[in-house]
Amino acid sequence: MTTIQRIWRFKDRLIKLTASKCKDCGFTTYPPKSACPKCGSKNVEILQLPRRGKVVSYTILNVPIKGFDAPLIIALIKLNDVMVMSEIINVDPKDIRVGMEVEATIAPSARTLDGAIPYVVKFKPITLRK
Amino acid sequence: MIIMTKVYVAGVGMTKVGRRIDRSLRDLAAEAIFKAIDEVGNEKPEAIIIGNMLSSLIEQENLASLIADHVGLRGISGFKVEGACGSGGAAFLAGYSLIASGLFKRVLVVGVEKLNERPTPDTSRGLAWAADADYELIYGVSFAGLNALIMRYYMEKYNISREEMGLWAVLMHENGYHNPYAHLRKKVTLEEVINSPIIADPIRLYDACPISDGAAAVYLVNEELAKKLSDTPILVAGISNALDSTDITSRYALDELYASKLSAKKALEMAKIELKDVDVAEIHDAYSIIAMLSIESIGLAPKGKAPKLLAEGRFKPGDKPSLNLSGGLKSRGHPVGATGIYQIAEVVMQLRGDFPGFNVGGEVGLAQNIGGVGSNITTVILRR
Repeated sequence: MTTIQRIWRFKDRLIKLTASKCKDCGFTTYPPKSACPKCGSKNVEILQLPRRGKVVSYTILNVPIKGFDAPLIIALIKLNDVMVMSEIINVDPKDIRVGMEVEATIAPSARTLDGAIPYVVKFKPITLRK
Repeated sequence: MIIMTKVYVAGVGMTKVGRRIDRSLRDLAAEAIFKAIDEVGNEKPEAIIIGNMLSSLIEQENLASLIADHVGLRGISGFKVEGACGSGGAAFLAGYSLIASGLFKRVLVVGVEKLNERPTPDTSRGLAWAADADYELIYGVSFAGLNALIMRYYMEKYNISREEMGLWAVLMHENGYHNPYAHLRKKVTLEEVINSPIIADPIRLYDACPISDGAAAVYLVNEELAKKLSDTPILVAGISNALDSTDITSRYALDELYASKLSAKKALEMAKIELKDVDVAEIHDAYSIIAMLSIESIGLAPKGKAPKLLAEGRFKPGDKPSLNLSGGLKSRGHPVGATGIYQIAEVVMQLRGDFPGFNVGGEVGLAQNIGGVGSNITTVILRR
């Protein structure tokens, strides 16, 4: 899937959680796009999303794709009004639920095709740490 | 829109769908092609368009020349079209356009896929290439996982029970049981569906389509040749393709297939047909949740109500419309790049009255093929 140069090329986006916002119609999208998907305007700005948000939906994969280990918890998370998809770590699969408050952290992903271990944004619960 | 001629389906052919370890990609294609060409009295096509997503898994690209040459069509025109699981529908649009433009009079559109050559984890990874590699695949999420995220959201938002979500699989296996071309020809009970192994919670085994091999072909001709080459030509009355985001995070809504809505509306408008006049339809139910969202996005049910209509007994054989008399992706199977062509061939056979499973006939049919998690969608309206 992934090579070292590919990870290097978008390392900032992988770690900083950037989205694009259209300066004309206001539509915000993650992943960021070169032009607004909604109105077509190229007048878009890159913005950094907040690092805390709430789980909107989740799944526990018993059969992830090749190279990843089960059980793998993947969630849709709302950061303000923008949705991102990421892995939830530091949580027992039994405890994950919709509405759970989570925060971004940096964690290793699966090994790339050429042997590197990239670091990406993952999320962990805020509540369980209290 | 300038359409030089109406376009007709004059012949169809398909192989049995399944784990076809007995056949190579080119031999599956040949079987479907020979059947379709045979239906038009062995008339040679001028072009061949191939719908396929994952032949790279078996290290084979350049499919149009490979297949054309294998079936005795060296020298004709052709190319492959890729649109993930929607490759077949997209290839059909290409074939349709070649005739509607007046460039060709006879075009063969072939969907073919060979997924069972590789171990399942390799194939699953290949199927996930239809997702966003940089933002989704990098987390190890499978296609089932992406659909599971939407399924949980939908069930919570509309308060849908596990039982209600299981009804679709039961209906599909009932329909597919009667289809000799189907991959999984066995009936299942609601109990079996809701207790089947969990793949990506809340998606269970019977919420998902099988990994299938297969090939289907449709022979398209212009108006002049339609009556000459077929006693029962079926008119391609409307066709439309629409794209949505590859990622699921930036969708306008998680509980709606924007591209399904757009392409269905435009295809119906082009055909000058109202949805209530559709007798039979083949929709793209890779997962139960996608079936619910397609039913609602096409306009056959209000948002969040498709499971309730199923519970009331709608969409069974004989209802208007009857949905997925083939058994759908669940039971007929999902040879990904070929699925769109299977759907069209099945609707054509329904309208001609020679589909070998449940056959309810009718005047008007609809086929909707979906690529990705609703990102590349083609809707075709067919008319007797």
